[in-house]
Amino acid sequence: MRDPIDRTARGAVLAVALLAALAVCSVSGQAPAEQGQRIQTMVIDPGHGGMETGAKGKFGNLEKDITLAISLKLKALVERNMGFEVVLTRDKDVDVSVENRSAIANNRKAGLFISIHANGAVQKKAAGSETFFLSLNATDEETRRLAYLENNSSALQSRIDPSSDDDLMMILWDMAQTAYIKQSSQLAELVQEELDALLGTKNRGIKQAPFKILAGVACPAILVEAAFISNPEEEQKLASEDFQVKVAEAIYRGLARYLRMPT
Amino acid sequence: MANNKKAKKPKPALVLGVLSVVLLVLVIIFFAGGGREKVERFIDANVPKTPAVAGEPAATKTVTLFFLDDDDDFLHRETRQVAAGPTAAEEAERAIAELIKGSEKGLLSPLPPQTKVRQVFIGKDGVATVDLSREVAEKFSYGSTMELAAVYAIVNTLAFNFKAVKKVVILVEGAEKETLGGHVDLTRAFLPDYSLVAR
Repeated sequence: MRDPIDRTARGAVLAVALLAALAVCSVSGQAPAEQGQRIQTMVIDPGHGGMETGAKGKFGNLEKDITLAISLKLKALVERNMGFEVVLTRDKDVDVSVENRSAIANNRKAGLFISIHANGAVQKKAAGSETFFLSLNATDEETRRLAYLENNSSALQSRIDPSSDDDLMMILWDMAQTAYIKQSSQLAELVQEELDALLGTKNRGIKQAPFKILAGVACPAILVEAAFISNPEEEQKLASEDFQVKVAEAIYRGLARYLRMPT
Repeated sequence: MANNKKAKKPKPALVLGVLSVVLLVLVIIFFAGGGREKVERFIDANVPKTPAVAGEPAATKTVTLFFLDDDDDFLHRETRQVAAGPTAAEEAERAIAELIKGSEKGLLSPLPPQTKVRQVFIGKDGVATVDLSREVAEKFSYGSTMELAAVYAIVNTLAFNFKAVKKVVILVEGAEKETLGGHVDLTRAFLPDYSLVAR
């Protein structure tokens, strides 16, 4: 879709402003050697919940239940084997707005964000697993915002105060993900490779999309679509304990590889 | 005191005089040409075009709609005739209504068929605002792949068929909504994305 590289370069400027001003991602004083060393907290986001059931399967399985089951398994894996705290955006069947989900990540100073979903389509044949990271929906408005931020980034560092300028804060939160597109794409690629290796589903690859949940998160962020609940065969898989464990394991492996990457 | 009052007295008259001159000048400018300029500026997609020939049979406009195929993830084109004019915005409303109605060639629509088009407005800045009824979100129970298809079927249909449209904003029941079904960010204007369209 859109070229993320140019945006990443611009985003680097924004990163300075964001990190200094909002202190959203936990960064230590010295330059860390590996991605993992700078992360203290990761957020796992079980897609949908409560009244908002997400996609529905022919056999009555709901996306919201499957995403929660996989998320809980992934949380357990990470907590057992990795040295950081895991926060879930929901740990039971409740409604959480998209905005609140990213707010949870930002307030907890998450260093990584993984949203877990099951896909659904009108085509019965649609099947497979894919991993998304953000594509900024490049509009004139976006360009203007970026220009504004570039021109004012030094001034921003000294004058940001959460209560002072609501519009400015909105712009910053809105653009939070810009600085992390490259890391997000690396994480997406590694997770997708592991999903492909472990699940035996069709590999739909990594994709970029203007997803609300990813846009507001101020750290590397991906959205995993484990399989299609609208496909009867894949619905059965998604509902099975065995497959859910495999999805969690695949994400965990991709994550582990990402954390070992040099920064 | 008395002196002061006398010195001030002519002032209101002077102000009135200046004001009436300014008014007169403005009125002259308005009728001498400014008026026409103003009218021209307001001729855009929302104002009826003058009919080409009076008494001509009802004209139609060919629009290209975007649907899904059973075998891939791409959007596929399908052309359709809609009643032409009087405004591009009304033609756009008809095009989106046809998109929701679905394919005539066995393709699939990613939009819930119960959805109604409340209004399409095309701004002079090239932003088309599509206001859809609540069903578009309430009856939407697919995943992110379908949500992307639904959004870009609308965005591409408008941008592809109407030159005045550069960007598209989607509203639900007249208000901004976060997403249709929990994924695609509707709070920003969309540019068309033809990379999602089959060759």
